[in-house]
Amino acid sequence: MAFKKKFTPRKKFCRFCADKALPLDYKRADILRDFVNERGKIIARRITGTCAHHQRKLTVEIKRSRQMALMIYTATHACDVKKKSVL
Amino acid sequence: MRKFETLLLLSPELSSETRASLLAGLKGVVEREGGKVIVEDAWGIRDLAYPVKKQMRGFYVRLEYTGPGALIAELERNIRIAEGVFKFVTVKLADAVEEVA
Repeated sequence: MAFKKKFTPRKKFCRFCADKALPLDYKRADILRDFVNERGKIIARRITGTCAHHQRKLTVEIKRSRQMALMIYTATHACDVKKKSVL
Repeated sequence: MRKFETLLLLSPELSSETRASLLAGLKGVVEREGGKVIVEDAWGIRDLAYPVKKQMRGFYVRLEYTGPGALIAELERNIRIAEGVFKFVTVKLADAVEEVA
């Protein structure tokens, strides 16, 4: 008899729907940083729990803040990677 | 009349008066095209997330203004001509903004 699954995932909710005052803005990179993983990639909706409407606005804002050098595109930039000297 | 906001990333090496003259020029363009600058908010020099034109720091200025739609093409043409502007982004904040003055 299959016992009930012990693991009950915590209730995911959309932070922007719940807290209206939370500004969804490319200038506020500190808030957007919660929705980006450590390598700078945007985290999926099913993990953060944001609703479709806010996720669409979120991706636009993150891409704008990346363009204005407020957020990183990738963790390791081309100039940091040591170029192999071609001998 | 629409409300816009432009965030400018300027070179950190610009001296303050060249920066002031550049901003005055941009504000002049806004006034000339029938717009009105509401806020000019300088964030100062900040560290960048990645090197831009071999610089790790940049001077951010945010301009908030109202004006007709055609104003943006003219303003961005001036920004592109201007020296020392690394990046800029223009965002429409509000559509029908009645004249407050």
